[in-house]
Amino acid sequence: MNGFLVRNRAVLLAYGAVVLLLLVTAAFSPGFLSAANIRATLVLAAFVGIVALGQTFVIIGAGIDLSIPWVLNTAAILMTMLCASENLPLLWVMPLMLALGGGIGLFNGVGVAYFGVPAIIMTLATNVMLQGLILVFTGGSPTPLAPDAIRFLAVGQLGQVPVIVVIWAVLGVAATVLLSKMSFGRHLYALGGNETVAEFSGVPTRRTKILTYVGSGMTAAFAGMLMTGYSGQAYLGMGDPYLFTSVAAAAIGGASILGGTGHYVGTVAGALVLTILTGLLPALNLSSGALQVVYGAVILITVALSSDGVSATWAALFGRRKTQGAK
Amino acid sequence: MSTSLRNYLLDKAPFLTACVMLVAILATYASLQRGVFSIDELNLVTGSAMTLILVATGQTIVILRGGIDLSVGGMVSLGTVIAATQFGTDPVNIVLWSSAILLLGFLIGAANGVMINSLQLQPFLVTLATWSVLSGVAMIILPTDGGSVPDWWIGFGYSELLGLAGPVWMMIALIGFWFWFKSTRLGTTIRATGSSEKSAFLSGVSIMRVDIAAYGLSGFFAAAGALYLTTQTGGGSPIIGKDYILPSVAAAVIGGVSLFGGRGGLMGTVVGAFILILIGSLVFALRISSHWQPVLSGMILLVAVLTSSLTEKTAKGQAQ
Amino acid sequence: MDLIEVSGLTKRYGGIVALEQASFSARAGEVHALIGENGAGKSTFIQILAGAVAHDGGDVLFDGAHYNPANPDDAETTGVTAVFQELSLIPDLTVEENIWFRREPRRWWGAADRRELRRKTLDLFEKYEFPPIQADRDVRRLTLAEQQIVEIAKGLAKSTRVLILDEATSALPAKETEWLLKLTRKLAEEGLLVIFISHRMGEVRSIADRMTIFRNGSTVATHVTDEVSDDEIVAQMIGRQMDRLYPERHDTTTGRIALKVSNLECGSRLRGVGFELREGEVLGVGGLQGHGHRELFQSLFGASRSTGEVELWGRAARFNSPNQALSGRDGIALVPEDRGGQGLLNSMSVRENLTLSVQRRMTWCGLVDSKREAALVREMVDLLSIKVETPEQEAGTLSGGNQQKVVFGKMLLTEARVLLLYDPTRGVDVGTKSEIFQLMRDLAAQGYAILFHSSDMPELVHVCDRVMVLRAGHVAALLDRSAISEEAILRAAVLEKDT
Repeated sequence: MNGFLVRNRAVLLAYGAVVLLLLVTAAFSPGFLSAANIRATLVLAAFVGIVALGQTFVIIGAGIDLSIPWVLNTAAILMTMLCASENLPLLWVMPLMLALGGGIGLFNGVGVAYFGVPAIIMTLATNVMLQGLILVFTGGSPTPLAPDAIRFLAVGQLGQVPVIVVIWAVLGVAATVLLSKMSFGRHLYALGGNETVAEFSGVPTRRTKILTYVGSGMTAAFAGMLMTGYSGQAYLGMGDPYLFTSVAAAAIGGASILGGTGHYVGTVAGALVLTILTGLLPALNLSSGALQVVYGAVILITVALSSDGVSATWAALFGRRKTQGAK
Repeated sequence: MSTSLRNYLLDKAPFLTACVMLVAILATYASLQRGVFSIDELNLVTGSAMTLILVATGQTIVILRGGIDLSVGGMVSLGTVIAATQFGTDPVNIVLWSSAILLLGFLIGAANGVMINSLQLQPFLVTLATWSVLSGVAMIILPTDGGSVPDWWIGFGYSELLGLAGPVWMMIALIGFWFWFKSTRLGTTIRATGSSEKSAFLSGVSIMRVDIAAYGLSGFFAAAGALYLTTQTGGGSPIIGKDYILPSVAAAVIGGVSLFGGRGGLMGTVVGAFILILIGSLVFALRISSHWQPVLSGMILLVAVLTSSLTEKTAKGQAQ
Repeated sequence: MDLIEVSGLTKRYGGIVALEQASFSARAGEVHALIGENGAGKSTFIQILAGAVAHDGGDVLFDGAHYNPANPDDAETTGVTAVFQELSLIPDLTVEENIWFRREPRRWWGAADRRELRRKTLDLFEKYEFPPIQADRDVRRLTLAEQQIVEIAKGLAKSTRVLILDEATSALPAKETEWLLKLTRKLAEEGLLVIFISHRMGEVRSIADRMTIFRNGSTVATHVTDEVSDDEIVAQMIGRQMDRLYPERHDTTTGRIALKVSNLECGSRLRGVGFELREGEVLGVGGLQGHGHRELFQSLFGASRSTGEVELWGRAARFNSPNQALSGRDGIALVPEDRGGQGLLNSMSVRENLTLSVQRRMTWCGLVDSKREAALVREMVDLLSIKVETPEQEAGTLSGGNQQKVVFGKMLLTEARVLLLYDPTRGVDVGTKSEIFQLMRDLAAQGYAILFHSSDMPELVHVCDRVMVLRAGHVAALLDRSAISEEAILRAAVLEKDT
C-alpha cells in the first residue's frame, strides 16, 4: 500500500484538502455539518463523482473527453422523452441510453486510436455535433418530467443513506478494482505511461484506449439520466458545468493530463472538495464569482503540490529515493 | 507529379484543405444569397469574426509553442467587464484603461507561462485553473451583463476608410504583424520550441522566456479581443468569454495549426475563423434551424484534423 | 600551452558514477580522438565540455582560464561547439533556418533577411564542399544522414575554436564519411581543436593526431596515434574483463526449425529476406546500421507492417501487433533496442514492468492473483539476479544493466521460445553483459531459439552459432560457426559481391 501512496501522493493531498475543508466549515458554520447537510453534499458530490469516473479513466490513458457535457445531456433528454414520465419503459430505455453513451464513446475512441486525431479535437467535435443535433431534434421544447423510479435513484434514501450515494460507492469500488486489481488497470497505466512501451509489451493499446472512451460515454449517460431525477426534468445545457468539474475532480485527485498517473480514489476526493467548496461559500456569504476564483486556486495549488517540482519533498517525507536521470 | 511539388502539397495540405472548405462555403452561400462578394459583406463578416480572430491569434501562438491556453475565455470576460465598468466617457481615461487591460492580459498570460514552466505543469490544467479564477473575478466586478462604453467607441465597427471598415483594416494590420512576427527571433524561437523543445534547449533557447512570451502574447490578444468585443456588444459580460475558448482552438486547428506544436500559421487560423463564422451565415441562408451550425462546425473540424493526420502519415511513410 | 586541460573531472547521476577523476588535455590544431566502450564516460565528458551538463568535481581550463559553462550557449560564446550524436535540429524549420538558428542575419526591423540567409548558407556549403542538400527543405523531411550533415553545418556556422564531433560518422554513408574525415583534417590544419569520437578504429587511425582512452567512467591513457598498436588500445579499452566476458559455447542446435522466414519485405529497407532459425541456436544478425536490422526485428514482432511468409515451429504465423506475437509458448518475444522509449516504464515498479506482458498468466477472469504475480516476479528476480531493494522499486531508478534485465525478464515470462534480441547490451555494464551472454547460451541449451543483433561485432563473433549479415535489405552472407570472424562479417557488410 505504501507504494500506492508514494506514487499517488496527490491522493493523500486531496483527502487532506477534504479534511481541511471540513474543519474550516465546522469552524465557520457549525450547522453545516448536520446529517441532512452532509447527505445533500454527498448527493451532489455523487453526480460529479460519477461523471468524473469515466473522465479519470480517459485521463489516465493520456486522453481527455470533452464530449461529456452533451453525451450527458443527450442521454437525459432522450430518456425523459422515451419514458414520457412512465416507469416501465426505463427497463429498456436505461440500457439503451447506456449503449448510446458507449456508442458515442466508441466513435471518439476509434477516431483517437485508429485515425490519430488528437483527443481534445475529436471529443470537442463530438460535443458540438451532439449539441447541435439535440437542439435540432428537440427544437428547444421542454421535455416530460422524469419518471418516479429515476427520482428515487437520485433523491431517494435507503434508511439514512441516499440511494445515489450507494450507487456511487458501488461504482467507486468497481472502478478501484478495475484500476488496481485487474489486468485492464495494468494495461491502462502502461498505455498512459508510455504508449510505445505498452505496445511493445503486447498491451492491446488501441482496444484499451477505446474502452476508456466507451466507459466515459457510459458514465456520462448514466449521470445524465440520474440528474433528471434530481432536477425533475431534463434541460438544455445541464451537462455544461460537468466538463470543468470532471477534469478538475480528476486533476485535484492527482491524475496527470499527460497520463499514467492518478486513481479513482483520488477523483472521489476531488469531487468532494469541489462540492464542499460549492456548499461552503454561500455559508460564508461569498458570491459565485468568488467560488470560481477559489476553484481555480484549489486546482492550481493541488496540481502544483503534486508536480515533479515539489515531489522531492514528498519523496523525502516517505523515505523513498528518486535518482536523477530516471525520467 | 514532381517530388518537390508533392512535398509542398503534403506540407500545406491542412491549410489548403481549409482554403478549399472556405471557398466551398462561400460558393454555396453566394448561390443562395446576393451580394456575398461585396465590400459590405466583407466589412460585416470581418466585423463579426474579429473577436474570434484576435483571440485565436494568441491561441495560435501558444499552440505553435506546443501548448494550449484555456484562460483566454476568462481574459475576454474580464476585459469586457473592466472596460464596461471603468471606461466612462473621457477619451484619455479610455485610452489609459485600454492600455491597462492589454497590459493586464499580457501579465496574466506571462503568469501562466511562469507557472507552466517553473513547476513543469500541464498547460491544460494551469490555464483551466486561471480561466476559472479570471471568470470569477469578472463575475465579482460585474455579476451580470451590463455596464456601458461610449457611443463613439461602439462606432469603431462601422467606421470606414477607403470603403473598408475598421475591423478589416485591423485584420490587415494583424496579418502584417504576423508576417513580421513569425520571422523575428522570438517568432522563430517559439515555433522551434514547439517543434522540439529538447532541440531548442540544446540550441541555447531559454524555454522560460519562450513560455512567458507565448502565453503573455496569448493573454494580450485575448485582452485585445475583449476590447474589440465591447465595440460590438456595447457593454461587459462576465460569461461571454467561454464562447471563445474552444472556437479559438478550433479555428487554429481547422486552419492547419498542429496541436503538437511548431507547424502552421496565422493565415490558417484566419481562414479557420472565417469558416466558423460563415457557417452561421450559411445556415441562416439555407433557412434551416440555426442549431445545425454546431453540427457543421464539428464536422468541418473533424475533416480538417483528419486531413492533417492522414497527410502526416503519408509524408512519414514517404520519408522512410 | 594546451587549449583545454581537464583534471579530476567527476559527474554523478544520483548514485551512479558517470565520470570519475577524468583528466585530459589537447592543443589547438590537432584532431584528438576519444575512444572507449559504450558507457565508458565519453558522452558525459563531452556534454560537460559543451555546457549541456554541469560537473560535480574537478577542474576544466580553457586557454588557461577556468571554464564552467552554464549552458550550451555559454560554451559556444567561449568557443566550444558540439555536434552531438543525438540531433539537436528543429524538425519544423528549414535546413538554412536550422543552420543559423538564433544567429540569423536580420534587417533593422527584426525580421530575418532571407536573401542573406540563403547566401551565407550556400557560402558555407561551398567553402567546406558539403554534399548537396536543398537549403529550403524542412528538416523533418530529410534522411538521418542528411540531418547529420546539417548538424555538422550548424556546428561549422559558428566561429569556434573547439569542435566536438560525437560519432558524427555513424549515420553517414561511405562517401559522406570520407568527406567528413577530410574536412576534419582540414579544420585542424586551420587551427581548430577537433575532438573526435568514433567507434571505428580505422577512422581514428586515419585522422587523429592523438587519442584518449576512456574506461568505466575514467580516462586510462593518452597516446600519439602513430606510437600505439591496436592491441594495446583494445587492451586498455577493455581492461582485464576480456577473458570473463564471453561464455563457453556448446553446440545445442537441434534439427527442429523454430522460425522460418522467406521473402520478408518491409518498405525499401527490407527486400526479400529469408532464413531459418533452429531450436537451441543463437543466430547473429550483423551488418552496418540502417541495412534492415531494425525492420527485420520489428516486422517479425508485428510492430512494423511487412509482407512475406513466416513460420513458427512449422506453422504459418504473421503477426499484426506485438499483442499477437506475445501469445505464449508458441509466440515470439522482442527485447527492443531503445530501453527507455520501447522497453521500460520508468515510473512504474519493477513488479508491474515484469508482469506487464503476462497478465493472462496471473489473472483469473481479469482479476490479478497477487500471490501468483509475486511468484512470477520472484522467479525472474532470482533467475536474472536483478538487484532490487524490493520489487516495488521504480524501474527508472535501477542501473542500466538491471533495467535491461527487467526488460529481459518481462519477455522471458511470456514463455515465448523464439527470442529476438536487438542490441541487448547497449548501455549495459560489462558485468551484466557477461551475464546476458551466459543467459543466452543457457536459454539456447534449454531449447530456445534466439535471433541476436548487436552493433558490437565481437559479441556476434563470440556468442553466436551462425551469423547472418544483412546489406541493403538482403541477406549478404550466412556464416557458419567456423567461418565467423569480424573480418568475414565486415567483408560481407561492405563489399558489393555476395560471398
